Amino acid sequence: MQNLVIPAAARTPAIHFDFSSNHLKVSGESYPEDVTEFYKPVFSALDAYLATLGSGSCRFDFELIYINSSSAKAIMMLMDKLDAAAAANGASVDIHWFYDVEDDTMQELGEEFGEDLESAKFHLEKMKADVR
Amino acid sequence: MLSGVGEAVKHKLALEDTDTKTQRSVFAVFVEQVQNMIRYSAEKIPSSEMRYGVLTIGHENDDYVVHAGNLVPRSDVVRLREKLDQIRNMDKEELRALHKERLRLGPEEGSKGAGLGFMEIARRASKPIEFEFIDIDDTDDGEHVFFALKASV
Repeated sequence: MQNLVIPAAARTPAIHFDFSSNHLKVSGESYPEDVTEFYKPVFSALDAYLATLGSGSCRFDFELIYINSSSAKAIMMLMDKLDAAAAANGASVDIHWFYDVEDDTMQELGEEFGEDLESAKFHLEKMKADVR
Repeated sequence: MLSGVGEAVKHKLALEDTDTKTQRSVFAVFVEQVQNMIRYSAEKIPSSEMRYGVLTIGHENDDYVVHAGNLVPRSDVVRLREKLDQIRNMDKEELRALHKERLRLGPEEGSKGAGLGFMEIARRASKPIEFEFIDIDDTDDGEHVFFALKASV
C-alpha cells in the first residue's frame, strides 16, 4: 500500500502514514479553510489501510500543537475509525496523544478523546521539547 | 485571508513575551471569531462569498481581549442569545462535558460548523464571554442587528 505523506502547511498538519511499518502520525497545527477537503484523502487512506489490517497491530501518533473547533471533529473521526478497527477484527491499536506541557487545553482535549475509546489503547504523553 | 492575518497575529503575540498558553488561547479565540464572521456575517459583498466583520485584539488590564462584530439576521438573535447565555454561565467542567456531547452530534440547524466555535472561545477565555445585539439604522425592526462578542484571555 502506498504511504501517505503530506507536508505541513500554514494551516494544516503534517500527515505521515507509513503503512509498511504500521506507524501513522499527524503533527502540527490544524485550522484549514475547508476541513472536509483537507481530511478527505486522509480518511480514505486510513480506511483503505484499516481494511487490510485484520488482527495486526498499528500505532497512531497525534502530535498536535493547536486545532480549531472544526478540526476537532475530524480528529474524533480518525479516533473512531481506529477504535472500530480494533473492535471489529481484534487489531491491536495504540493511540498516542502528545501534548505540550505548556498548554493544558490540548491535554484536556486528548483526555476527552481517550475516554471515548473502547477497544484501542490510549496513551497520553508529554511532547518532547524539540517538537514544540 | 486567515492565513496571512493569522501569521501576523502569531508573530505579534510571540514578540510580546506572553506565556505559551496565553499565546495559543488568544490565537484560538481569534481563529474561531474570524471563522464565525466568515461563515455567518449577514453583510456580504454582492454575488460573492466575501463577508464583512470587524475584529480587534487588545489589552485590558492584565488580559488580552478579542472583540468581534458583524451583522446577523434579526431572526437569529433568539437562537444565538440562548446558546451564548447557556455557554457563558457554565464553568470549565460543564463546558468540557457539553463539548464532548456536541462533538458527537451533527451541526445544529442554521449552523455550518460543528456548533463548537462559541464553546472553544468560552473554554479558552479566562472570564465569561460577553455579547450584545445592537439595533442599527435607528430602528428596532430592521432585517439585521449588529452582533458583538468579547472574550478575555
